[in-house]
Amino acid sequence: MIEVKEIEKRYGRKKILKGVSFTAEKGEITCLIGINGVGKTTILKAIMALTPLHKGQILIDGKPIDKHSFEKITFIPDSLTMLPNMTINEAMEFMKDFYTCWNQKRANELLGFFRLEPSSRISSLSKGNTAKVNLLLGLALDVDYVLMDEPFSGIDMFSREEIANVFTSHLIENRGVIITTHEIGDIEHLLDKVVLLDDGLVTKEFSAEAARENEGKSVIDVMREVYQK
Amino acid sequence: MKKYWKFMSILVVILLSIGTFYVKSVTSEENHPEFVIETQSGDAKEIEALILDGYYSDTSTMNYKSTNVKISSEGSTYERRSFLDQIIGEPPAVIKEYQEKYRTFMRGKGTDLNSFSETDQVLAYADVDYKTDSFHSHDFNFPISILNKEDASVQSFTVEIPDSENMDYAFMEDVQMIEDELYLITNNMIRSSEGSYDEKHVYTIDLNNQTITNDETFSQVPERQEGNHIVAHIIRTNPTEAHDQMILLEKEIKVIEDHESSYREEVVKQEGISYNLATKEKESIPMSDLPIDSELSFFDGSSIYFIGVEGQEIVVSPYHLADGKAGEEYRLQLSGDADHGSAPMTTIKDGKLYLSGQQINPKLNMNATDVIVADVKTGDILFKGQITLDDSEAKNQYELYLHEIHVE
Amino acid sequence: MKKYLQLVNFEFNRIVKLFTVLLGITFVAQMIGVVVQSRSYLNLANEKMYKEMMPQAEFLESFGQMSFLQIAKSSWFFGPIALCVAGVAFYIFFIWYRDWIGKNTFIYRLLMLPTSRLNIFFAKITTILLMTFGFVAVQLIMIPIEIMVLKAMVPNEFRLDMGVMEVVTIIPELTLIFPSSFMQFIFHYGLGLLAVSVLFTGILFERSFKWKGILAGLLYGALAVVVLLLPLLLHEFVLNNFFYPIELLVLEIIMGLLVLSASIWVSGFLLKKKVTV
Repeated sequence: MIEVKEIEKRYGRKKILKGVSFTAEKGEITCLIGINGVGKTTILKAIMALTPLHKGQILIDGKPIDKHSFEKITFIPDSLTMLPNMTINEAMEFMKDFYTCWNQKRANELLGFFRLEPSSRISSLSKGNTAKVNLLLGLALDVDYVLMDEPFSGIDMFSREEIANVFTSHLIENRGVIITTHEIGDIEHLLDKVVLLDDGLVTKEFSAEAARENEGKSVIDVMREVYQK
Repeated sequence: MKKYWKFMSILVVILLSIGTFYVKSVTSEENHPEFVIETQSGDAKEIEALILDGYYSDTSTMNYKSTNVKISSEGSTYERRSFLDQIIGEPPAVIKEYQEKYRTFMRGKGTDLNSFSETDQVLAYADVDYKTDSFHSHDFNFPISILNKEDASVQSFTVEIPDSENMDYAFMEDVQMIEDELYLITNNMIRSSEGSYDEKHVYTIDLNNQTITNDETFSQVPERQEGNHIVAHIIRTNPTEAHDQMILLEKEIKVIEDHESSYREEVVKQEGISYNLATKEKESIPMSDLPIDSELSFFDGSSIYFIGVEGQEIVVSPYHLADGKAGEEYRLQLSGDADHGSAPMTTIKDGKLYLSGQQINPKLNMNATDVIVADVKTGDILFKGQITLDDSEAKNQYELYLHEIHVE
Repeated sequence: MKKYLQLVNFEFNRIVKLFTVLLGITFVAQMIGVVVQSRSYLNLANEKMYKEMMPQAEFLESFGQMSFLQIAKSSWFFGPIALCVAGVAFYIFFIWYRDWIGKNTFIYRLLMLPTSRLNIFFAKITTILLMTFGFVAVQLIMIPIEIMVLKAMVPNEFRLDMGVMEVVTIIPELTLIFPSSFMQFIFHYGLGLLAVSVLFTGILFERSFKWKGILAGLLYGALAVVVLLLPLLLHEFVLNNFFYPIELLVLEIIMGLLVLSASIWVSGFLLKKKVTV
């Protein structure tokens, strides 16, 4: 379980996060939803210790993050996490060198799934394919938790479908996923938990299934309710 | 493994290349020739305690680097001054001894032997200190420290130098510790509206009261002199001994232009004065006409050995202060060319006069230099020899300069 | 340790192309220098001796023999060295900033590696060292080759032969790069390593706090200099030359190690807790 406890962060004078708390369970897909700039990406970066917090604490399976955590949790950001002049093969070699949890079989599977040519240079790929490489580098690691930041932004419709399919496959099964997006249309049916963010705070944290069953509402219904208050 | 080849290969290149370079730099220093002191006459035992310091440079290459060399009866040893030595510096041997024996006392003290005076009971130190700003120097004072060797107690204090308003700079010529009084002999450079002078002073310091009880100017030489000029030097003594007499040599020098831009100096008049530090009595010492070299001459507390150079001969005129009589003058013959060469070096210890030439330069036809040990009173030669290269077929392009002679 | 070596290998491979190009430029330029200088000397000799009918002895007397010094003092020789120095100086900064700028967000990957973040620092500083020593080592190999070419071009009587050691010890600027004793080498390059570590810390301050970080970095640099000079300053101005030279040396070495450790510690702290992408 990933526990985010009362985290606060300032950018210069502006307070972006004013005390955000939520949890994300292993085996569930948790979605952080909010308008652009509300701090979703910042939260993900903070979980990965890629940006400092002013207050609050983040625990992964009960412990604060350390160097060993990176074999248990991975982050797939909006931008490429490899050198663009590398080939896909070289990128995979790199990952294999540094991560013991790198699963080459799974990587090969993803190569086929995304129809990527391993000898191609990453800089020569289209935006969609670059995003898929990024996903591959993250998903081919046997980690417990996967954080994804806007996996669908700027991707063409067909690639979006491919990526959405990954979520239903065994590639995601049993892992804890935190995803941020403001286009929940593609994956609404896959979400387990939703965290709504507004003005630096969590306005509502709820289970998608519970909302559907108990109140007959879809996620979008709940969102409308919250934001139109 | 094979993707590490670029990094590994540069590592190998670095280690091999830089390693070889420094191994070579260490081993190349071992190609230095051996100098020996060849005995020509007398007893070689006389030079057993003699050590000559100098610089050797190989002029057959473009490398003008010189290496320190020590020559003694056992041959020559080369010291590559390591980088550490260059930082640490090389004070004179006597100072080094003091630093080892009296480490705490010697802290922060300069390394000029002239500031020290040693007796059986004490080691005394005095220096001249002052502040300078852009216009003038001021706040002249003597920092004084006396170490009692028996109980290791130290007396330290500072006294202001009187009448120092017009002093530009000053340095310590000698320090003498006699009974309870400390005598500081300084050279003060005075600059006033009336002119500039070089004055030699003796300050008497009362150690019990920590004050200056006397300030006497015993020599005054104007800086800018029309026509002939006068120089005054104090004859050197053994700095680790205390003497209550001081010998001053004053010379009047005329400058003669030979031709074009060369000139030579001619000594018109010279005067020797003995000065008693305690009683302040002055006595004139009769001297011969031969110009005396103040750097070579020596005073051992009871006798003055006036030493001059005439052609290829060293002329020694002893003068015994107690008797007030001159001893017999004697001459020591040096080999070599009268045209080339600086004056030799001398030192006197335990009644013996040690003499050594200063230069070997085959290019200038100087292939060897003398070493002579003589009885200082009579001039009887106890040892005569030459410093030469042991290896006769060694190259001809080198220079040897000796600059220090001492006897252990 | 293994991760550190892998990172060093990775960082080195990133710059190896530029490194090799600079080496190539150095070799070519210096070789051209040898040829150009030799030719110009020979031309001078020819003109004087065959056109103006100057006897060989007189020519040698007036103009001297050709030695490697003439080449070593020319811009053909020095220019590429200056270029390599500039390259390393530039890369000291660029080795960090390249992972942050523009669309390149490789810094994410570096910071998410399952290894101590200090290894990033160590790997980058090691790469700078490898580049620097690499240049020095290759230059030491190039000089004897260039000397051989000089020997081939200029006849015996007109030549004054010098060995590598001589060339390197005579020219003052070169003694900075190739000190004559190994102890001095450790001293020069130890000081260089210290400087790079302080610069790296400054860079990490900037990457952690932006404008305030630049200020912090500069302050840190100033503090490092003061700490380093502290024994000398105390000795000279406060304590009245209290220390013996060897004591000062030991103190300075201790201060140097102190500043190095502090830089490493602060950099590690910044990388782990304060750096932001």
